[in-house]
Amino acid sequence: MNELQNMLEESVTRLFSEQVDRAFLSKVEEQGWSAELWDLVTEQGLTHVLVSEAAGGMAASWADAFVVVRACGRYAVPLPVGEQMLALWLLEQAGISAPQGVIALLPEVLEAGASFNADIPRVPWGREAGHFLGLTSAGELVLFDGSHVSVAHGQNLAREPRDTVSLKAAAPIARAASSLKPDAIRWLGAMLRAAQIAGSAAACLELSVKYTSDRVQFGRALSQFQAIQNHLAELGGSMASVDTMARTAFLALDARGLSGSDDAGFEIAAAKCRASDSVELLTRLSHQVHGAIGFTYEYDLQFLTRRLWSWRAEFGTSGEWGESLGRIATATGGDQLWALVTK
Amino acid sequence: MLNIESLRFPRYEQPDSLAPLRAEVRAFLDDTLKAYSPLVRSNTWDGFDPEFSRKLGAKGWLGMTLPKAYGGHERSALERYVIVEETLAAGAPVGFHWIADRQSGPVIVRYGTEAQKQKIIPALTAGEVCFCIGMSEPNSGSDLASVKTRADKVADGWLINGTKIWTTNAHRADYMIALLRTDSSPDSKHRGLSQFLIDLKATKGITARPIKDLTGRGHFNEVSFVDALLPADALLGKEGDGWKQVVAELAFERSGPERYLSCFILLSRLVDALGKNASPAALAKVGAEVAWAVTLRNMSLSVAGMLNEGIDPGLQASIVKDLGCQFEQRLPGLAQELVGLEPTLADAGTDYQQVLGNLMQLAPSFSLRGGTLEILRGIIARGLGVR
Repeated sequence: MNELQNMLEESVTRLFSEQVDRAFLSKVEEQGWSAELWDLVTEQGLTHVLVSEAAGGMAASWADAFVVVRACGRYAVPLPVGEQMLALWLLEQAGISAPQGVIALLPEVLEAGASFNADIPRVPWGREAGHFLGLTSAGELVLFDGSHVSVAHGQNLAREPRDTVSLKAAAPIARAASSLKPDAIRWLGAMLRAAQIAGSAAACLELSVKYTSDRVQFGRALSQFQAIQNHLAELGGSMASVDTMARTAFLALDARGLSGSDDAGFEIAAAKCRASDSVELLTRLSHQVHGAIGFTYEYDLQFLTRRLWSWRAEFGTSGEWGESLGRIATATGGDQLWALVTK
Repeated sequence: MLNIESLRFPRYEQPDSLAPLRAEVRAFLDDTLKAYSPLVRSNTWDGFDPEFSRKLGAKGWLGMTLPKAYGGHERSALERYVIVEETLAAGAPVGFHWIADRQSGPVIVRYGTEAQKQKIIPALTAGEVCFCIGMSEPNSGSDLASVKTRADKVADGWLINGTKIWTTNAHRADYMIALLRTDSSPDSKHRGLSQFLIDLKATKGITARPIKDLTGRGHFNEVSFVDALLPADALLGKEGDGWKQVVAELAFERSGPERYLSCFILLSRLVDALGKNASPAALAKVGAEVAWAVTLRNMSLSVAGMLNEGIDPGLQASIVKDLGCQFEQRLPGLAQELVGLEPTLADAGTDYQQVLGNLMQLAPSFSLRGGTLEILRGIIARGLGVR
């Protein structure tokens, strides 16, 4: 890790380990949005890391931002930190000045036009947003304010808001051509979720090692049983694989962008496929080694595993991204497969 | 308390200077391997082809990291890594030089006498000698320190008695580096071991009996030593340091890209067999394995980078092998299921069916050789602080 990444890692770890605990997460699930934590996150510039210094950011790379997004997964942070980071980056890339407040990302491609009519389901924290950002089938970035927009509440398994946003003859307050592919929000959202899954996987492993080391049965710590050690070793390998591939995708995005034939799409698809694919093992084995306590609301594990089950599907399942990879691989051909894997 | 950072794989950026070497070896392999059938290429590191090894030696691609004074090339571990991963991915027959290049050469350079280095390393870098590893015994598998084959000091050297087993290529190798017991007192389990460099062609009293594996081929052996007399200078390194030396040697054995590259050719052929018109469900399944391939490659590269920077990659290397074996052991079943063809022997079927038949039979060995899955999981558990 470079200096900026170390600094970011330190500050997010300090902030989230102080602020986000079981009591906090339970309260957010009951009462909703925590304006205090959002203010702390934005005051520390965590949502602005990718933005230029002139616009109040850190001009960081995606590889730097990875540290922040992964930490959001590790601490089950109930805020759209990654989404906001991405929205601000998209706006700056397209030369649109960013509005204040939460900007919700619309994960579906909008049909190009002068004004927009669409019902877009599963929008992360749509209800908290003052603005909405989408990409059109013509590759245009469009920003809406709240007028002609209505929001119907929904949630994922972790009770994070996933709302239906309806545009009724909504005219964008700003629009600009984008060099990205029209479904870029889905690709980049998938990349964010892969990093969050990596963080959550690390937290599942930490809890599992701690619990099995503390809990004594038959006169020994559970972690002294070979069957348990085997589960922990599998969790460790799975976490490491997700972590490595997720970071690889962020680095590829820095290096090759998300347009053109040699873009970072291959690595991003592999990262989300691998991450989503790992969720079954991560959740099954971490619950297994915890016994009944892990299945209760009173213990931390469920804040992680319910997120993993939701994030596995958000912005595309393992199967969907696997199919994309399968298409890339078959189009590349067997003889060039190794070159694809090593590019 | 678990430090999660200790489990992560540091990113390794390959220097641009590796690109020309990679391009050169790819062109060489394209050209050289044209004549080899897919079935032969599916043997990768079981493929035994002295002529191919000599060609690699002539290119300067064996013993790459060893000192120039002994015919080596003093190139970086990463340059060697490029050659190894490219030859494996292409299904080149690397079996003749594999052990010599990977571990015997470095061990001799590190522990050998001047005379041993002068005699062996130049031939090794030329691809002219084949090595085998005398570690396992009939009653010492994963518990390697329990080896019993004895080396007794006598007036004119060392007298060897005992049996080694699962010794790949012993029936056709030039040399064996063997782990032998030089002190049998009960409190010297680890301290009583020493390594020896054995000239198999020049030593009487050694018999290698090939053991057919389940494919019907005989590449590994039971090797018996009956009063085999070795010269005094056959000792490799220090008497009593055998265990320490062997642990260092196993680190070479456990950290390379072979841990996930024994049957890449099957994934390539599967991709072609499916083609663009495959069903979405089939594409999703093969795509998930492509995701594994690129993940494992990045993990393996990280291990190579750690080695290059002098960081002990023991934990990460074990994780790569654990995940790599699972990946490679899934592939034959998947390649059969998605294409719907029966695996065959060399006498029938298409190339695809023959490659499938070969790798389906070889796959069980992937999680046995070079440390079983269970041993690796134990190493990972230790890395997690629970052992």
